[in-house]
Amino acid sequence: MTALLSIRDLAVRYRRGGVPALKDVSLDVLAGERLAIIGESSSGKSTLALAVAGLLARSATIGGTINWKIPKSQTSHSFAPPSVLPDISPKRGEIEPSSPPSPISNVAGREPTAELLISPQVGEMSGRTEGGAVARQLSQPRDTIPLLGRDIGFVFQDPSSSLDPVMPIGKQIAEVARTHLHLTWREAIAKAKTLLERVRLPNPEATLHAYPHQLSGGQKQRVAIAAAIAAGPKLLIADEATSALDTIVQAEIVALIRRLVSEDGMTLIFISHDIALAASLANRIAVLRHGELVELGETSQIVNAPQHAYTRALLDAHLGLDAEPLLDRQGTSA
Amino acid sequence: MSVLAVSNLTKRYHRGGKPFAAVDEVSFDVGPAETLALAGPSGSGKSTIARLVLRLIEPDAGRIDFEGANFFALSGAALRARRARLQMVFQDPLAAFNPRATVARVLGDPLRIHGIAPRAERPRRIAALLERVGLDTGLAARAIHEISGGQRQRVAIARAIATRPSLIVLDEAVSALDVSVRGQILELLLDLQRQERIAYLFISHDLGVIRAVAHRVVILDAGRIAESGDARAVIADPQSAVGKALVAATPKLVRTSQDAS
Repeated sequence: MTALLSIRDLAVRYRRGGVPALKDVSLDVLAGERLAIIGESSSGKSTLALAVAGLLARSATIGGTINWKIPKSQTSHSFAPPSVLPDISPKRGEIEPSSPPSPISNVAGREPTAELLISPQVGEMSGRTEGGAVARQLSQPRDTIPLLGRDIGFVFQDPSSSLDPVMPIGKQIAEVARTHLHLTWREAIAKAKTLLERVRLPNPEATLHAYPHQLSGGQKQRVAIAAAIAAGPKLLIADEATSALDTIVQAEIVALIRRLVSEDGMTLIFISHDIALAASLANRIAVLRHGELVELGETSQIVNAPQHAYTRALLDAHLGLDAEPLLDRQGTSA
Repeated sequence: MSVLAVSNLTKRYHRGGKPFAAVDEVSFDVGPAETLALAGPSGSGKSTIARLVLRLIEPDAGRIDFEGANFFALSGAALRARRARLQMVFQDPLAAFNPRATVARVLGDPLRIHGIAPRAERPRRIAALLERVGLDTGLAARAIHEISGGQRQRVAIARAIATRPSLIVLDEAVSALDVSVRGQILELLLDLQRQERIAYLFISHDLGVIRAVAHRVVILDAGRIAESGDARAVIADPQSAVGKALVAATPKLVRTSQDAS
């Protein structure tokens, strides 16, 4: 398989002189694969997802390269909206589909298969301005930049905070389709209804007009997924997208993600703290710890023949339905 | 005799103008030094039962006996005395504490309020509590927001055991912890149970955790008990539809032999 993106020596610091959130992480995300990135708190797994999506705070210091290979056909909706100019967007820093693209992805190649490259110098470039904002130069054609919402779909942990509470659900999904596929509102709303059917929400027609608070947590996450895939992205990133849901709903959402990724031929980056959940979905697993990539391999290799002691520790800490109960280990009786 | 006996407990709320029972005729009991787990999907009534048992809310019907006395009939000094014997640990200790208080203050409060230790003796008692939960005594002077999540949950457990309870309600107490920390906290809870004979009402959505530490389990669905019994037996062979769904939905780590291929 070819790489959809190649990450090399990616280093992120949220504060100058602070502890690095990511330290020289290098890995390839292969086109069409389901890659799980697992780790505990402050392992850097969410930072990696945000860096790929171009959602890191402007004050963050970024080093290394992310090299995209997005097929030309995918990025040739020739006219990206003017709001992609990162430094003038009023929505700078907000997390939504129309946000400006990744600083990392701002430098694009010109080949039919656009190869987008950022050098370490660009990542830590000068031009730091007031409020920690960083001026990023846009030196390549805009239509080859991987754009969040169009080329990358992002699903967050908490749909209550990623959905607009006062906008009807149909409009929130249609907005993405309208912006990136250049549809009319009428076409975009029709597309939204199809998407609500695809994510198996009951009564899609009525749901178009519903507000997020009228839905359960699992239903809201289905809406967030519908919005994330509305523009037909090549890459879907799910950042702890099932962690706030109960076990049964979690299994349903994982099944939904698996089906949509397979039907649309998307590449999936699945961020999770749960090694068993990751193993149930992913072809490959990357294990992060304290900002470093400690191990990357095929799921069966990670689960059955982990090379790193930390991976083994994570596997041993998993409390499965076949594990020896701690009660017995302690010799406690009822 | 059971530490906690819940009978026909019912709590109704209104949703969209219509009444519905969040907890519907639920009965169970918890014996001394026993762990009873409450499991079930979101909205099954687990946390409402916890709040009823802690008497944070009043039931519409039913009865709770704690240490042999009708808990809802108690008031004033008798209620305060009994409350010291019933403690709680929640999912997020940062939300449960004043973040700017020091660890010493958090642990000193119950000792003061319940008259367990005079002022001069409190520093020694606080140090003993910290040691009991595996923390460095030097942590006493630190603020709650300065310590790690795992340390904070140990402080929450130390505060819970400060009043020598017979029952601790643990509401998703290990759900937010990293797996490496989670194992240590579960070991600590089991050790305390063995040494101090504390009973736990252990609320969790995670059957793997329940199976690891609970003696018995009650599986709830829409406010009613779907099934109950020995934790391992129920999880190995669930009879109810919701029990089967919970087991089926639990992520399985399928590990074959140790050879790489």
